Amino acid sequence: MNTILGLGFILLLGLFSARMINRVKFPAVTAYLLLGIIIGPSVLKLIPKDIIVSSGLISNIVLGIIAFGIGQNFSRDNFRKVGKSVIWISILEACAAWILVTFIFLVILRQPFYVALIFGAISSATAPAATVMVIREYHAKGIFTDTLLGVVAIDDAWCLIIFAISLAISQAIHSHMLATAFLIRVFFNSLLSIFGAFILGGIIAIPISHLSKYLRSQTELLIFTLGFVFLSIGIAIWLKLSVLLANMFLGMILVNINKSSFNFFESLKTVDSTLFLLFFVLAGSNLEIAILNKLGLIGLTYLVFRVAGKMIGAGLGAHISNASKNIKKYLSLGLVPQAGVALGCALIAKNDFPEVGGMIFTTIVATTVIYELIGPLCTKYALHKAGEIFIEHQNI
Amino acid sequence: MQVKEVMSKEVITIKRSTTLKQILKLFAKFHIFPLLPVVEDDGRLVGVVSLRNLINVFQSGRTDMLKAVPFLDEQEEDIFKIEFSEEVGNLAMAEDIMESKFTTVEEDTSLEEAYKQMKLHLKEEIPVVDKAGKLVGRLGIFDIIRYIFGQKGIIK
Repeated sequence: MNTILGLGFILLLGLFSARMINRVKFPAVTAYLLLGIIIGPSVLKLIPKDIIVSSGLISNIVLGIIAFGIGQNFSRDNFRKVGKSVIWISILEACAAWILVTFIFLVILRQPFYVALIFGAISSATAPAATVMVIREYHAKGIFTDTLLGVVAIDDAWCLIIFAISLAISQAIHSHMLATAFLIRVFFNSLLSIFGAFILGGIIAIPISHLSKYLRSQTELLIFTLGFVFLSIGIAIWLKLSVLLANMFLGMILVNINKSSFNFFESLKTVDSTLFLLFFVLAGSNLEIAILNKLGLIGLTYLVFRVAGKMIGAGLGAHISNASKNIKKYLSLGLVPQAGVALGCALIAKNDFPEVGGMIFTTIVATTVIYELIGPLCTKYALHKAGEIFIEHQNI
Repeated sequence: MQVKEVMSKEVITIKRSTTLKQILKLFAKFHIFPLLPVVEDDGRLVGVVSLRNLINVFQSGRTDMLKAVPFLDEQEEDIFKIEFSEEVGNLAMAEDIMESKFTTVEEDTSLEEAYKQMKLHLKEEIPVVDKAGKLVGRLGIFDIIRYIFGQKGIIK
């Protein structure tokens, strides 16, 4: 099968499978991921090799676009609107999962520190699609629902920062540096990763903001925005900075210096769905079924302790911010799903650490499928317990 | 030619606390729903309510919070089947449904520039504000076209 024919089939099968899975109330991302696993090299081998090879290219573009969009969260207006509960809960649930998973992988599973740290960082991500779907389906309303929506909307921003720091530390450890040189390198790498990305984002945001007044149509706006996002991704790769952070900072700076910035983010929505579909199908197709059976314990540990970390962190955040009893007890159950951001981070880890990358990526794909399937049930249970949905004659 | 010379100065406005019921009553006799500015007591423009926002009332969840969230499925809502209690009309306020990020044009902007902005953002009408962000009028594409027809002598 040639590449273009393969792309055509992927898009159409993706559309069809998303429609099918929507009927049983699962989000489209789950369908794309399962489709990728089924038609990928491990099962039906229907995806042309050229497309598999270009996974890295597509994921870099998609991650750049996602991170750019996530940057919107960092507007002064947004922080004022979401309230302190959302900020405390989102920061602490992300950090607690990061620390707990890292600790368990290091101490119990005896994984090298750099591997444990990567798993920990990825575990901080959540995926709102399944959660939002349940909220919409049952017309959930109330403080619990609003807090949950706020947390799932904002916490991937913390994940990107956590992942960038962890990746910088892991890369330094991985290159087997001596103690003193190592500490300097870790410090330098982390600093460079964050400040370099911040400076790059800032430098690119200025021409976007100033040149946009010359745009004349929606088409030009889309080309202009996409062009600058690509420029930011490309320069970040070239300078060995974090693509995720550079684009997140680009979105963040833009939203704070340009009051019409929402138009840039809106314009990308006309093309991002196609890229997201390809990204998830390719992520699924990169699952290595052959090594899946060796990952039972790692996968199970990740599944359990990621959720445990989120429960501890969300509970602590709710306690500090004096949130209601229901939020303290049940909110973390709405944070079970993981998808795009976790898969994207795992793809980066796969490229940066080839010897363990397959193991990390396959674990994340497999656990993503499980989380996406059980996530909606957990959210439904949490909303029911919080008294913000009413389910008649159904077992939950 | 500046926007202030062509814009309509009479604009129906609402407050943050205006309820959905009051909004619907306001336009009961209208065939179309205009872009409805939401202003503070001092006249500052803080939001707009469009037909799209009225339709969003049928959707649950704070949709404004989810704008930055990737991979969300589009919501398919059958507005003919959805169940509402009567209270929604009094409970939903302009503040809950309004768009807080919107495009405006300043009153001393040239008409050409305003038209370019409207075309760029696919807007049929746009609120006009002064330097302090206070609402001073509303500009529709028809206002601009009428002005051009007037210039050409087609209408007096």
